[in-house]
Amino acid sequence: MNSLSLIPALPLVSAVLLMIGSARLSKRVVAIFGVGSVGLSALIVASVAQDFLTTGEVQTATLWAWISVANFTPGIAFYIDGLTVVMMSVITGVGFLIHLYSVEFMESDESFARYFSYMNLFVAAMLLLVMADNLLLLYLGWEGVGVCSYLLVGFWYRDPNNGAAARKAFVVTRIGDTAMALGLFLLFTELGTLQIQPLMAAANVQWSGGGTLPVLATALLLGGAVGKSAQLPLHTWLPDAMAGPTPVSALIHAATMVTAGVYLIARTHELFLLAPATMQAIAWLGVATVLLAAFAALAQNDIKRILAYSTISQIGYMFLALGVGAFSAGIFHLMTHAFFKALLFLGAGAVIHCLHHEHNIFKMGGLRTRLPVVFASFLIGSAALAALPFTSGFYSKDSILLAAWALPDIGPILWAGGLLGALITAIYSFRLVFIVFFGEANTEPDKQVGWKIAVPLMVLCVLAAFGGWIGQPLSEVFPATADFHNVAHSVEYIGIAIPLIGLLIAYLVFLGGQLSVSKLTDSSLGKALQNFWRDGWRLDALYHNLLVRPFTGLARLCRNEPVDIFYNSIVSFLRWSHRGLVSLQTGELRWYATTMVFGLLLLVAIMLRNAS
Amino acid sequence: MNIDDLQGLLPLLTLAAGATALMLQIAFARNIKLTSFLAVATLLAATLSIVWAGESAPRFVTPLLRADKLALVFSALFCVAGAVTAILSMDYLNNRGDEPEEYFLLLVLSTLGACVLAYASHLASLLLGLELMSVSLYALIAYPDKTKLPLEAAIKYLVLSGAASATMLFGFALLYATTGTLQFSAMAQQLANIDTGNITLLVASVMIVTGLGFKLSLVPFHMWTPDVYDGAPAPVAGYLASVGKAAVFVVLVRWFIASNLFRFSILIDCIALLAILSMLAGNGLALLQTNIKRMLAYSSVAHMGYLVIILVVGSDLAHRPLAIEAGMYYLIAYTATTIAAFGLLTLLSAGKSQKENIQLHDVSGLFWHQPLYACLMLVALLSLAGIPLTAGFVAKFYLISSAVSDGRWILLGSLAIGSSIGIYYYLRVVFYMTRRVEEHKNIPEAAHGLIEKFMTCTLIASILLLGIVPQSLMEYLRSILQLVN
Repeated sequence: MNSLSLIPALPLVSAVLLMIGSARLSKRVVAIFGVGSVGLSALIVASVAQDFLTTGEVQTATLWAWISVANFTPGIAFYIDGLTVVMMSVITGVGFLIHLYSVEFMESDESFARYFSYMNLFVAAMLLLVMADNLLLLYLGWEGVGVCSYLLVGFWYRDPNNGAAARKAFVVTRIGDTAMALGLFLLFTELGTLQIQPLMAAANVQWSGGGTLPVLATALLLGGAVGKSAQLPLHTWLPDAMAGPTPVSALIHAATMVTAGVYLIARTHELFLLAPATMQAIAWLGVATVLLAAFAALAQNDIKRILAYSTISQIGYMFLALGVGAFSAGIFHLMTHAFFKALLFLGAGAVIHCLHHEHNIFKMGGLRTRLPVVFASFLIGSAALAALPFTSGFYSKDSILLAAWALPDIGPILWAGGLLGALITAIYSFRLVFIVFFGEANTEPDKQVGWKIAVPLMVLCVLAAFGGWIGQPLSEVFPATADFHNVAHSVEYIGIAIPLIGLLIAYLVFLGGQLSVSKLTDSSLGKALQNFWRDGWRLDALYHNLLVRPFTGLARLCRNEPVDIFYNSIVSFLRWSHRGLVSLQTGELRWYATTMVFGLLLLVAIMLRNAS
Repeated sequence: MNIDDLQGLLPLLTLAAGATALMLQIAFARNIKLTSFLAVATLLAATLSIVWAGESAPRFVTPLLRADKLALVFSALFCVAGAVTAILSMDYLNNRGDEPEEYFLLLVLSTLGACVLAYASHLASLLLGLELMSVSLYALIAYPDKTKLPLEAAIKYLVLSGAASATMLFGFALLYATTGTLQFSAMAQQLANIDTGNITLLVASVMIVTGLGFKLSLVPFHMWTPDVYDGAPAPVAGYLASVGKAAVFVVLVRWFIASNLFRFSILIDCIALLAILSMLAGNGLALLQTNIKRMLAYSSVAHMGYLVIILVVGSDLAHRPLAIEAGMYYLIAYTATTIAAFGLLTLLSAGKSQKENIQLHDVSGLFWHQPLYACLMLVALLSLAGIPLTAGFVAKFYLISSAVSDGRWILLGSLAIGSSIGIYYYLRVVFYMTRRVEEHKNIPEAAHGLIEKFMTCTLIASILLLGIVPQSLMEYLRSILQLVN
């Protein structure tokens, strides 16, 4: 038994145990299992990472070959390089903190064991996704996290709205997953393997850059990534997915699962490098998502929806990075985003927890003195999100924007788009801070946070503030990116200044009162625009009218099952033939003997006919 | 015959010695505990003896028997299946009939016959093994003689089986007349010079196929199957459906390979016809059955239809290794699964209520009442239906991939239609088992000894293991089949 296999196995075993013993185990035992298994995994990951950093050797482990027919031999096998190490560290590290936080957050929930079994199952599936050495196993993890996301979004299933949100998340991502499955089929038929490294090698040999096949294959993979990572046009599920418990949003819908699409593209980047058209599409998609989601975030009132749109927007930056070929910058932003967004979500969870499940930011206010720990974490988290200088978010976002600038032709446009996004990001993050934590108190907190909430917050504070100095062992994984040293200093200065300007605007509008936001929103155009953005650019309505309505209309048309006539006739034919056949089984020996003789005669007759 | 020859026959010798010992023991003192222990010990000893027997393989022991790895693997399978049947039968018999000792003797003898079939390299040994197995089975079917049904089943099986054997013997005679030999490999040399349209030879082989097809219950020689399974005691029906068929199929494959009958394309076409008929009619007949034993009987007709596809695929030399490998894997998976499915019926029939002929409504709510046994049935049914992670899936996947590589689209189409019908009646049992029933009054009282639970877990584990980590067994089969081919 390889110690690598323990990393996903521990949470998996714990999930199964919790599922079986949910009714019998005390909350204490459940918490020990649930948190402990992820903690142990994190320790093993730490030692694996230590090994990797000292030796720099790629580790592989094949547990067993699942099946072997002709040249199709999918294995249960792991491939651990720098990228995997980064992902595993984020998943188990941040995952452990969120599990610990959940113990207090979910304390009074009657389905405590169910919660932890789903969470552990999620961690196991996510680890499988990033550790897999072949795309089939990756797909298993990919679907596994999808199922867990469904289960956790609909965790409080007694409210039908939560069930609807879970279903939406599942169905919308399924569109992407289908594209991805088609992509896998195409890769297998064309290149004859699904093992990632040989696959990329084969693609480099057999495919010419810019050909139809690489573009088609990568476009299909991109479809999967777009669905999972909530990018345009499949992002609509993520804001609704906030129906789940807040730690779930932190773990699945901010830190890990939604970045799986980024991981997939980074993992198979050699394929994407063969398809410049897809790369460009990724970059444009990224920028469009950044802007669209940032404006939507600006108009939200629900604290979790603000963060949800912000997540979509930040993943847009990662896609921008991937699209311009700055893979390590994308993964870097993935990591820092995991820190500060998990921090913000956990902070938001603490606010909601202490404020009688209040989500509306305008009913909060003045929490600066009442919940100091939460205030500190929000301040640091928002600073990192807005990419204020020297926070972790600054380093990662800066390297993405510089990489975009360095791209010939379309580079400056992408850069400008990203910059505008950064301005809006700063405005909406500090709008949130100023409204929730300053001003008049509208609701009094009814409890304070305990250590199980405070400790993860503080650890994440440190990571969000200083995570930008963590070096990532990615140089072996990705091709070297262009040198930024000859970028004009003015470009860098603009990058530093923009978030500060955003902060200033937010201060003037939401705290200082020098600029009145009501003048803007009171005008009919302003009001319309605000509502338009609050509804997420009305894309939900658009999809509803464009896709859901025709579909349900079709379903209504088919209510009387015109199509089923065909299937029903198959059923009645089968029943009829069953009755016919059974009527031959008379139970009479002489009849049985007769059929045997007739059978023999038939065979002999065939022989006689064909004999020469 | 030297000591190495005897070593190669070790499983057969062990079984024969064990049968003699059992007979003497029963003659001296009736003691059911001792008898059943001796029988299980004999079967397990025979299984273990494979290890030593393997050291002298492969070799011909007289022209009649060939001790090679294939024979040994299937002897082991039959002995283990016999042992499992014997263990599951104990409670069943204790609550029925007053003198059940000879049951175990017959079981050992029948297993001996099955092993002889696995060894057979000559039509004479084929007949010997077949009759030894069948005659013991006639008696086993009628063993609990209190009711009319088992007796009726036994008589039906006896008469029809006799007719089938007679047909087969006539085929042997014609074959001897054409080739002058009954030994498989010697026959191959003679057949090589015979025109593929030779009428005597074609009629002879089709008569033998009829005889063996009866045992495999291929349509249209399948009529006896539901009545006999229904009447037979549940453990015997399980044994008949698994070992009784696997042994016949092994010898059929051996004969086809060793004598290279694949040359006669019209014969292969006939087999393809039987396969298609079996797949469609078997599944069609099982569709609405409410008697689980009859349902399993028809399903076995369909499974044998799937299985003989490999003979058709094997007629193409290029795909023969893969086809035979697929067939052998299918047999092992099918044996384990069938023993498990009938095992549940045995366990449910074993209690004091002496319920026979378990119906669908008898198992409704089984999941809430007997979760372990319900899991056994669930795994067995999923495996029969060919759902992934079970033995049946891997077996079917293998079978289909070999047929695809050979481009047998009509057979594959029938297989697909048949399998999709199959899902319906297999899952129907699962639906019944998961029903919430207020009163579990329908469920017959089941055996609940430790040993039954242990056997249940073992069977579940083996089906799942065959489905999850099939690779090592496949590779082993591949290596031994290279020697056979």
